[in-house]
Amino acid sequence: MRTPLLLSFLFLALTTMAQAPGWLENTLYGNGKFNVVVVVVALIILGIGLWMWRMDRRISTLEKDRK
Amino acid sequence: MELRHWWWKFLAIALLLFASITALRTPLTPALVHVSPDRIAPGTSVIEVLGYNTDFQAGSTVVYLENADQRVCPSSTEVTDATHVQATFDVPTGLKEHLTTVGVDRLRYEGALFTEGLGQGIEGGACGPNEASSTVADAPFAFPNRSILYESIRNLHFHVPMWFTMIVLMAISMVQSIRVLGSNALEQDRTAELAAQVGLVFCGLGLVTGAFWARATWGAFWTNDVKLNGAAVTGLIYLAYFVLRGTVQDAHKRARLAAIYNIFAFVLLVMFLFVVPRLNAVDSLHPGNGGNSGFSDLDLDNRLRMIFYPAVLGWVLLGVWMLNLRVRAARIAEPLDP
Repeated sequence: MRTPLLLSFLFLALTTMAQAPGWLENTLYGNGKFNVVVVVVALIILGIGLWMWRMDRRISTLEKDRK
Repeated sequence: MELRHWWWKFLAIALLLFASITALRTPLTPALVHVSPDRIAPGTSVIEVLGYNTDFQAGSTVVYLENADQRVCPSSTEVTDATHVQATFDVPTGLKEHLTTVGVDRLRYEGALFTEGLGQGIEGGACGPNEASSTVADAPFAFPNRSILYESIRNLHFHVPMWFTMIVLMAISMVQSIRVLGSNALEQDRTAELAAQVGLVFCGLGLVTGAFWARATWGAFWTNDVKLNGAAVTGLIYLAYFVLRGTVQDAHKRARLAAIYNIFAFVLLVMFLFVVPRLNAVDSLHPGNGGNSGFSDLDLDNRLRMIFYPAVLGWVLLGVWMLNLRVRAARIAEPLDP
């Protein structure tokens, strides 16, 4: 169940990348490297989320062991 | 693992993804960012205007000067490219005010030109904003473009949520401290301590990101500003909370003493972050303080808010999740005596 949820988040991220008007080609997206930053930020957030998740599961397992 | 216990953790990551990506990808509205020279005198003047995110086009882009509601039309206009336009004016004698505004279609650079040869006014020309012009059309969704801030306005969605998250965690800590006074429960005392610890992490992130933003906009990492010093003092107050905890051996005594201090610490936090900087008696560079308006006056169409609120909620939920892990790990690692 992890994969479909992650994919849905990625989809959400992609849908926010709407069509830009022509003049933006001069500045923000002009040289085509800007999206690299966006993807890096998205990966960092996903990575932190994944780390939090794994830590949460690990603690859950320990909690169960103690009962 | 059940989804009903997990939904808010997914929500946290989803909101952070949405807010961060949109905060980076949303363009700024077109604006005039530079005019040269910076003064005009009666006679012929060539004015160069630099636009940002504009799409100046020869033939349709209208440049004009405005002084006391009277317009001066150019004798010729030359569009170099989408962001550069050059206009030649025959500046008349008798403009009324010291500062002349430069306009390009509906974009204006207020008071761009210091004006010499003042008089009783002139006959205004017929040129003016070309409202229908597509040369400065907004993107469907764009952030305000404000001088000094420019692209760094995106920081609103990263720097400010740090403080919201710290305040929520400190509030949780304070509520736990109030409960300790009633119950004397060490469990609640520990939650109060851990919430203040996680809160302090966000306080540090807020200070560092704020200093970096200040360097880019105000020119210095730190200024003697009430808001900045208030934030730093708040951090120190919470550091003292941990020092105080370390000085008391008996756990129950420590819990009560720390709880009382912690409640006062939160009151001071509210004072230093929200009350003192907002007094009209003090000056502050920081938006929303000392008689300054926040970004809300730039954000009449709520475009910043649509990203800002999800960002705040996402970071707050992540902070609460971090606290949740800390508390559960502490319960396992250091069980409290009954």
